[in-house]
Amino acid sequence: MKRLDRRRWPGDALWTWLCAGCVALSLFMLITLLTLLVARGLGHFWPAPLEALTLHSGEQVIGQPVREAPLPHGAGSERLYFTGNRELNGADWRWVALDDIAAVNEPEDAIRLERSPWGDVTGRLAALEVEGERLTGAPARARLQSLLALPAGQRPRGELVLTTAQGSPLVQPLATITAFQAPNALSTLEKAGVWGQGVWRFLSEGPRAANTGGGVWPAIFGTLLMVIVMSVIVTPFGVLAAIYLNEIAHQNRLTRLVRIGVRNLAGVPSIVYGVFGLGVFVYGIGGSIDTWFFDEALPSPTFGTGGLLWASLTLALLTLPVVIVATEEGLARIPDAQREGALALGATRLEMLTRVVLPMATPAMLTGVILAVARAAGEVAPLMLVGVAKLAPQMPLDGEFPYLHLERKFMHLGYHLFDTAFHGDDVEAAIPLVYATALLLVLIVLVLNLTAIFLRHHLRRQQGGSWSRS
Amino acid sequence: MTRPALPARTPWRQLQDRIATGLITAAGIGVLLAILAIGVFLFWETLPLLTRFETLSLERLSPLAWGTLKAAIAALVVALPLALGGAIYSALFMSERLRARIKPILELMEAVPGVVVGFVAGLVLAPWVERHLASALALVVWLPLCAVLAGLLWHATPARLRGWLPLGRAGLWLLPWMAAMAVLALWAAPMIEQRWLGDDLVTLLDRRFGLDYTTRNTLIVGLAMGFAVIPGVYSLAEDALHDVPRSLMEGAQALGASRWQALWKVALPMAGPGIFSAAMIGAGRAVGETMIVLMASSNAALISLSPFEGLRSFSAAIAIELPEAPPGGLTYHLLILAALVLFLFTFLVNTLAETVRQRLRRRYRSGGGR
Repeated sequence: MKRLDRRRWPGDALWTWLCAGCVALSLFMLITLLTLLVARGLGHFWPAPLEALTLHSGEQVIGQPVREAPLPHGAGSERLYFTGNRELNGADWRWVALDDIAAVNEPEDAIRLERSPWGDVTGRLAALEVEGERLTGAPARARLQSLLALPAGQRPRGELVLTTAQGSPLVQPLATITAFQAPNALSTLEKAGVWGQGVWRFLSEGPRAANTGGGVWPAIFGTLLMVIVMSVIVTPFGVLAAIYLNEIAHQNRLTRLVRIGVRNLAGVPSIVYGVFGLGVFVYGIGGSIDTWFFDEALPSPTFGTGGLLWASLTLALLTLPVVIVATEEGLARIPDAQREGALALGATRLEMLTRVVLPMATPAMLTGVILAVARAAGEVAPLMLVGVAKLAPQMPLDGEFPYLHLERKFMHLGYHLFDTAFHGDDVEAAIPLVYATALLLVLIVLVLNLTAIFLRHHLRRQQGGSWSRS
Repeated sequence: MTRPALPARTPWRQLQDRIATGLITAAGIGVLLAILAIGVFLFWETLPLLTRFETLSLERLSPLAWGTLKAAIAALVVALPLALGGAIYSALFMSERLRARIKPILELMEAVPGVVVGFVAGLVLAPWVERHLASALALVVWLPLCAVLAGLLWHATPARLRGWLPLGRAGLWLLPWMAAMAVLALWAAPMIEQRWLGDDLVTLLDRRFGLDYTTRNTLIVGLAMGFAVIPGVYSLAEDALHDVPRSLMEGAQALGASRWQALWKVALPMAGPGIFSAAMIGAGRAVGETMIVLMASSNAALISLSPFEGLRSFSAAIAIELPEAPPGGLTYHLLILAALVLFLFTFLVNTLAETVRQRLRRRYRSGGGR
């Protein structure tokens, strides 16, 4: 035995190890991707310290360190700082070579403001002048915090005086400030609070400053609404088609071909569905609706351009095979004895279907719909053709009659990510938000998929035990 | 008089049943027709091209066709070895308990949206690879060597210690080993680059061979799309290998074959069609993927063989150009022709794969005899 082992040793075993390495490497890639998203996506909201630098040239800089990169030709490395003060410095970012830095400290009164016109400001808090009072230091920060909780209209008139890194004063009216951070004065617990607030603002606010700041709420809302409209369309049709294929149509060569065809449509690239949606729904049907009903608005199109309805319809078509296949799988698992029993007791086919077969197939249908929703939530390519917008001025659901505006364009998490990352003006500012958006999207899709997996697993175990066909 | 417990089949119930059956049939056939309409629409909209055939069209489409092909080949070069190797290991060597956990995880990889993979590839991986090209290439060679090295070390350790790190769980405990080796390679590669090449590899490629280096190039597309294609191929190939009747493998091993020989001579020929169909489905996915190609490549319509240059595929061209193309124009029809090509290709490939798979399933059911 031992001799045999030695003889085959190299050729055999090493290939096996190479194969094991393949599994490890695939897992490694997945874990790296997820870790990267979690670390960068959530880390962004943790308040970074504001450093006050003194350079060898005597220049002062205040900023938040972002990342480091090596300089060419092995000349050490440089660090990117967010400095803000666009109107004074001409840019929000500054690269500083590490060798140029003479001293670094983290002053407690360093502060970063978010303003509504212009970008962010960094500096040292000199004083808060409000209602004739002049506050400095920690009381000023506490007062500012309570003032910013009020809406901009109800705040008392007042001004915030900052000292910029260069030493010149900068006066900022209270009404223009939206938020502030004094990270150096915070304890770890307070930082955690700020972090939680940051995450919440990201989820609940709209984008600011050409999508480089603020939150993604309109995109979350648009994605949700699109997915809901899509499920409303795809569920009945997918289920009916599956019932037809499995319960009503004669099982012959043709049904088998159709089944293969449906299965294969799940593999057709999503962009092809987008082309179909653009050509048929938008230009064809939408164009006709415009000429018939919205004649007065032409040539500006109402339904003849991309919108929520067309996007939902396109994605419904795209996910139809998913629902059909999952439902059919559930129907095929139900033993014929159940159907024959119902019919033998005098039920019509409709009663047999609605009272016996469908209740048993419900979890399978649900699995199908969840998988369809997961697929639709992550799909971007077809949406680019049929109605997604970079920045939708109006939500597709509001208080105006008819409340749900199916013709409006909408924002979508996936497209928001693509657009912010590749078409933004200030990519450096947008990247952290893009990470956060990517993390959110991955979480949504993974949670949906896991739900479907558990549902299916549960279903198989339950049915395998009680009334398996074989 | 006793009445039956159930009401008799009244005409009203019969009618209800008729109507419902009719509605279901109508809806079912309607849905199937709607699906068929995709193909019909694409055909119909490309017909005008026949009447106004211009040489221009061929000139505009051929770089796109080449880009599509190049991206798909790059993705398959990355994905096929990893997916098939992983499938072989987890179907035949991995412990059943671990397999039940690892397989769903790897299948979940497929759920990661393309736009996220594309973003990480285009904005994180691409700039990193440009700065560390030598390290990245070194990793590609070094990591498989590390797996083999782990095997050599494993065989050299005494059997008592081997029990702690069984082969059946190697897929998991190789993970920290590979990570450590990757860190080692990243630390050593720049020094070796300086010592042996004397300069940055990107500059060297340009000076010595005249190769341009684009940040977002075919290499990046291959890596990113490979990541997206792995799970699909892995899952199908693994199913095919795992379903090979145990009796055949055990018979071969009883006759003196090693596990690897049994795999090579029995399992692979048996599962060959299944593996082929897995590869086909991977190819279909790679050809049609849009967001990854769009974000990880430079989208320049070039015909070049260099893996360090960008490309533009059919799907990316459709996504970029179609919203701006006026309906009825030449560009519009050309792009729809591109969509038709994608549709036909993936449909044919998937049908082929599905047919092969069904035949294979029948063969397994009949116990393995041909």
